[in-house]
Amino acid sequence: MVLSTLLALSLAAVADAHRLDEYLQATLIGVTPGGIELEIQLTPGVAMLPVLMTVIDQDRDGRISPEEERTYVERVARDVELRVDGVQAPLALLESSFPTVESMREGLGTIRMKLRTARTGHELRFENRHLPQISVYLVNCLAAPSDGLVVSRQQRDEAQRSIAFEYSFATIALGPFWPAAIGIPLLARLALLIYRAKRDKRSSRVRPPNAVTG
Amino acid sequence: MVRTTFLLGVLCCGLAPAQNSLSVASKIVASANGFLSSLDDGQRSKVLFEFNDAAQRMKWSNLPTTMVPRAGLKMGDLSAPQRKAAMELLASMLSTRGYEKVLAIVEGDEVLKGSSGGRGGPPMFGHDLYYISILGKPSVNDPWMLQFGGHHLALNITMVGRDGILTPSHTAAQPAKYTVDGKTVRPLGAENDKAFALINALDEGQRKQAILNYKVADLVLGPGKDGKTIQPEGIKCSAMNASQQAMLLDLVGEWAGIINEQAAVARMAEIKSNVSATWFAWSGPTTNGTPAYYRIQGPTLVIEYAPQPLGGDPTMHIHTIYRDPTNDYGKKSVGH
Repeated sequence: MVLSTLLALSLAAVADAHRLDEYLQATLIGVTPGGIELEIQLTPGVAMLPVLMTVIDQDRDGRISPEEERTYVERVARDVELRVDGVQAPLALLESSFPTVESMREGLGTIRMKLRTARTGHELRFENRHLPQISVYLVNCLAAPSDGLVVSRQQRDEAQRSIAFEYSFATIALGPFWPAAIGIPLLARLALLIYRAKRDKRSSRVRPPNAVTG
Repeated sequence: MVRTTFLLGVLCCGLAPAQNSLSVASKIVASANGFLSSLDDGQRSKVLFEFNDAAQRMKWSNLPTTMVPRAGLKMGDLSAPQRKAAMELLASMLSTRGYEKVLAIVEGDEVLKGSSGGRGGPPMFGHDLYYISILGKPSVNDPWMLQFGGHHLALNITMVGRDGILTPSHTAAQPAKYTVDGKTVRPLGAENDKAFALINALDEGQRKQAILNYKVADLVLGPGKDGKTIQPEGIKCSAMNASQQAMLLDLVGEWAGIINEQAAVARMAEIKSNVSATWFAWSGPTTNGTPAYYRIQGPTLVIEYAPQPLGGDPTMHIHTIYRDPTNDYGKKSVGH
């Protein structure tokens, strides 16, 4: 109710231009043989800042203290869930950064945080339950060609609050375009072998009877 | 009238790029040197950066320059001859249609300025608020780079010898349709119409593969996402017939063809050679005129087209991104 009222009041003052009445929560999931990293970027629209400040700015002084930053980041970390092979994975905060309130007031500020688990497996499910009343979501799995990451069809809900997929690592690093990576060199090799066979056949035909090899 | 003068004046005064294959790079360098020689020492020191200046290289955005300041020289601070020389340089690096697209985007921002009314303070939009910068020394031998951009536009053109690399670049439009002297202008109209034609050219089974079952609110790999690649989704183009693949390549050409024809031909050949390993994903309705997101992703290509649900009708506010994950900023050739 409080959020809805604040949202209505904020929208009344909104002009044109960029992200306004949404809180964009974009997550990129990095899967490696050694664990899983979540890179979360939170960008409040201009009209969303007053709403978000009621959550972050606990002492209502119009500023975000380091303690309030830490408390908020911990809340976000609690509101997201990562499951690996069906089991909830513990997430450690690697880093976080906050923009100035002024830049968020202009719709520019992005809160960034990185979470990591060392848990590995073959099936992953991520869900973001943070502030659904005001948010839109993006969630994607990063490609990792150097690790040979192979990801099955990704399943999401309509709002992109959750994603699930199976994954594995090829023995050689091939990346998401591995069929082309395998196929093109194989075809090239095949073409070379055919060419050499034809060439050898031709040269054996013209070789004089007394020719020797060696 | 002023708008018409700007649009037609720059287009018609001999600035349409000449595309003679061998001499393109030389003409670009000559145009760059012509622009630099039109500047005074103070301006030159503002427009020139080291080629390896990574911070400057990544200093681009979809946002207005009043919100995210750009470095370099502001068009509004140049004299008329200097501005003409800057636009000549840009025209020399782009194809005719690419240059027209850029002018239409810039002109759209001038329209936005007019329609946004008196918000107080300095203007946020308009063709005076676009910036130009040069990284490195213009040369036909050594790599260098031109950046031109502002609100809804970021062109990062790396020249390596005769090769021109346009990735990463951002094009956008708000309003996506406007009228100048009775003529309707849609800066990204072909990107919209060709995509709707393609999705509707797929059969039911193909469309089922292509259409994602979730909403996409924004660009995934937009400004600030350098060096990242996501898992491809949608329909793989190997499952398309030749006609559908040709439609997809024609659509890709709306981005790949912004740069001069010589560079565009090489780029399109590369993209075509990978077409079977390229993916096409769609989110949203399939009736032209409605807002829909799409992504084209291949081994050397990422294109996203994202209507923005901001400021009213999403079809009137479009953001796009064009990347080559293997060669953004020419990294394959110059190693940065």
